[in-house]
Amino acid sequence: MALSLTVNGELHSLDIEGDTPLLWVLRDELGLKGTKFGCGAGLCGACTVHLNGQPVRSCSTWAEAAVGGEVTTIEGLAEDGKLHALQNAWIAEGVPQCGYCQSGQIMSAAHLLATNPAPARDDVVAAMTGNLCRCGTYSRIIAAVESVVESSSVENSSVDSSLAYDAAVVREIS
Amino acid sequence: MTMNRRDFLKVSAGTSGTLMLSLSLPGCSGMPTGYKQETGEWKPDAWLEITNNDEVHFTLARVEMGQGTYTGLTTLIAEELEVEPAAITPRFAPVAPEYRNPLYKLQLTGGSTSIATSWEPLRTAGASARQMLIMAAARVWQVDAAECSAREGRVIHPNGRESMRYGQLVELASKEVLRGDIALKPAAEWKYIGKQGGKLDAHAKSTGTAVYGIDVELPGMVYGVVSRPPRYGARIKAFNGDELRAMPGVLDVFEIERGVAIVADKYWRARKAQDALKAEWDNEDALSLSTDEVFASYRKAADKDPGESERSEGDYEAAVGEAGKVFEAEYSQPYLAHSTLEPMNATAWYRGNTIEVWAPTQAPDLGRIAAARVTNLSPSDVTINTTFLGGGFGRRLTQDYIEEAAAVAYRMKKPVKLIWSREEDTQHDLYRPAMLHRMQAGLEGNQLTGWHHQIIGPQLLDWYVRNAAPAQYPWAPKFMYDTLGKVGLLAEGIATPKDMSAIEGAIEYPYNVANIDIRHTHTDPGVPVTFWRSVGYSHNGFAVETFTDELAYETGQDPYQFRRKLLVGQPRHLEVLDRAARIAGWNTPVPEGRGRGIALFKSFGTFVAQVVEAGVENGSIKVYKVACAVDCGQVVNPRIVEDQIEGGIIFGLTAALYGEITLEDGEVQQSNFHDYQLMRQYELPEITVDVVQSSEAPTGVGEPGVPPVIPALGNALFALTGKRQRSLPLKADA
Repeated sequence: MALSLTVNGELHSLDIEGDTPLLWVLRDELGLKGTKFGCGAGLCGACTVHLNGQPVRSCSTWAEAAVGGEVTTIEGLAEDGKLHALQNAWIAEGVPQCGYCQSGQIMSAAHLLATNPAPARDDVVAAMTGNLCRCGTYSRIIAAVESVVESSSVENSSVDSSLAYDAAVVREIS
Repeated sequence: MTMNRRDFLKVSAGTSGTLMLSLSLPGCSGMPTGYKQETGEWKPDAWLEITNNDEVHFTLARVEMGQGTYTGLTTLIAEELEVEPAAITPRFAPVAPEYRNPLYKLQLTGGSTSIATSWEPLRTAGASARQMLIMAAARVWQVDAAECSAREGRVIHPNGRESMRYGQLVELASKEVLRGDIALKPAAEWKYIGKQGGKLDAHAKSTGTAVYGIDVELPGMVYGVVSRPPRYGARIKAFNGDELRAMPGVLDVFEIERGVAIVADKYWRARKAQDALKAEWDNEDALSLSTDEVFASYRKAADKDPGESERSEGDYEAAVGEAGKVFEAEYSQPYLAHSTLEPMNATAWYRGNTIEVWAPTQAPDLGRIAAARVTNLSPSDVTINTTFLGGGFGRRLTQDYIEEAAAVAYRMKKPVKLIWSREEDTQHDLYRPAMLHRMQAGLEGNQLTGWHHQIIGPQLLDWYVRNAAPAQYPWAPKFMYDTLGKVGLLAEGIATPKDMSAIEGAIEYPYNVANIDIRHTHTDPGVPVTFWRSVGYSHNGFAVETFTDELAYETGQDPYQFRRKLLVGQPRHLEVLDRAARIAGWNTPVPEGRGRGIALFKSFGTFVAQVVEAGVENGSIKVYKVACAVDCGQVVNPRIVEDQIEGGIIFGLTAALYGEITLEDGEVQQSNFHDYQLMRQYELPEITVDVVQSSEAPTGVGEPGVPPVIPALGNALFALTGKRQRSLPLKADA
């Protein structure tokens, strides 16, 4: 069965059964291995991708449900060769341990910030609660998300830009 | 600190017998060293490779499963080599004697030993290569080598202006011969050790580009799944293979030792075929017991057999006979699954007379035995490629998933990726064993005069030797594998001829009590068990530190002060205990509706004390705060130490709050994260980790965060409710 999927802005024509989970299409047909298999039941969030801007569990989403939609995976998060601010924050904060859940964590966080650029702590916790981390990187995840929120609020604030620059430097060295 | 290069060779020789000694003779060992003209690569030893265009490759012999070896061990070599850690490219080691863990004489990563066992050898390797590069430069410049220095991948001329890149010097350096002492840098000159640096794998793991076992891709690869018997030890009797073979994409369906393998061109087609599998199992030799029968069998064994004495001091019997009061308690802990987020998987390719395996494994040399076992090949025909591991926690020390992949690939004669579902991963794990502890104490007034601890349950090496024993003797013919497994790990083989897995942490009881009697009643109900993050410490910590808490309350003493008084000549225990109490504000009033509990436990050489503040909210246990103090000797990467301890706390809390695998007629009752829950983001307590600054030799941090948090939480709930919980997981409504 032929299916057309748009993934990370590219249209793909695939010969695959429509009841194949999107996860295995991304991984095995398109070679996008950044999206991970964790539970197959939408319980752990390791397979989180965006479908039309909404986070979905690709292990529990049929490929045919994504036809006509726009799928974004961890590989498609960078823009113009520049990493997403969250990816930079993840690296700066040293979030990953085993790292297996982190693509899903970042995709959930990216959706949160796309819809709520200035989330309160409770909003961050709520948005990230569907993503399990067996290594226990939870506090680093919160710190990384909040560092992006802070720096964007500095960028967007009306204060003198030289002050904003200083604030960023202070954060970096502290 | 200095180390003679001959000592270095001796140290290394301990890891591999005489093979390592031949490293200084290029071309004579299995691991060629020296300079290669064609490629411009210089291999000064088994770990390093420096190219004439300044690339530095480091062979990482301890796998990266989240515990931080990728950064940590690279930091050690970088420090002495005088290059930035980020300028080094780690590579996962192939199977070779040079890469064995000296403590186990096996190439395995476990027991929180990576930094401790690499601390001297890797720094010495870095320093030796650096010195040879300096000597080469000095020869070129015709100056005294002692006047030269090295910095950021260059040797600096005594005049401070000229310098040469390492790449320019590798060929010459390869001809230098080291004599005498190799001086390691004094701590005051460290640039990377103990300093905050980035994690070298963070970029790959934040962009989806890190390659885990499950991500391996090979030309013409097909996909396998295996249906295993619901009851451990059952055999397949009959299955509808023909029907399945007719399904779309299905390439073959066949019996392997561990069940029924289904191979298809696509993973989901293999799974769909598996849904249609009708299998009949022969349960004659299968496990048929239920969890309550396991504990009943433990109690029966405990009544019958007081167990082997593992530590005896003073005269416990006399002390308890004379004691004014005898206090007793029994503790039990359930089976626990590992639940690595990356499920078990392996990819294998049988071609010609070799097999190549790609797998996330903690023990590649055992993986080689596993693959040889199910094919017509010898271990030397097996190549194991290790990938990043999506969690290990001890699960990937056992190579059952490689054994399956090899068996399937052997039949298919093409690359096969075998993936377990989460349900299979949960139900066909080898578990942290269920354990029982009988504790007794003699009390005289408020003095503790006697301590008795009887541990009841299995030993892990009984399960582990099957592939571990042959891995120590890879030249042994296969018909001997079972014998080797039965004999166990020979005394000169594994470093610990005694199996410590049931008793570790109990026998290092740190408190000053005159009469001590610690015993192990060895009984094994046949449920598959293995190492689980913090191993024996995970259950002994709960028993020892909960009973200690009970004794404090029983004698009307503050649990912190009670422990303090009993710590005689134990300054490192005392220091972390005091620190944790201070951070937690032990002497300040506990907020309404909360309780505070304390616990102290040393494991894997590392001292950890924790204070938990917890309560009950909406019918669930709520952990508010964990204050933790750690002494792990010299810190190499501060952030990784904090992360490991914090991760260990969350791992321990997950076990304390949710962890329980139960059996019903031999079948595991849990299957996925809805009924085998892991702690989630919204449950995260406020965790404070205080690391003692120390110049003692470094000890492990991957596991020691786990044991104390479980009793600390139980003790906090007791402080709140006055009800003592002696079995796990803890309940809100106990």
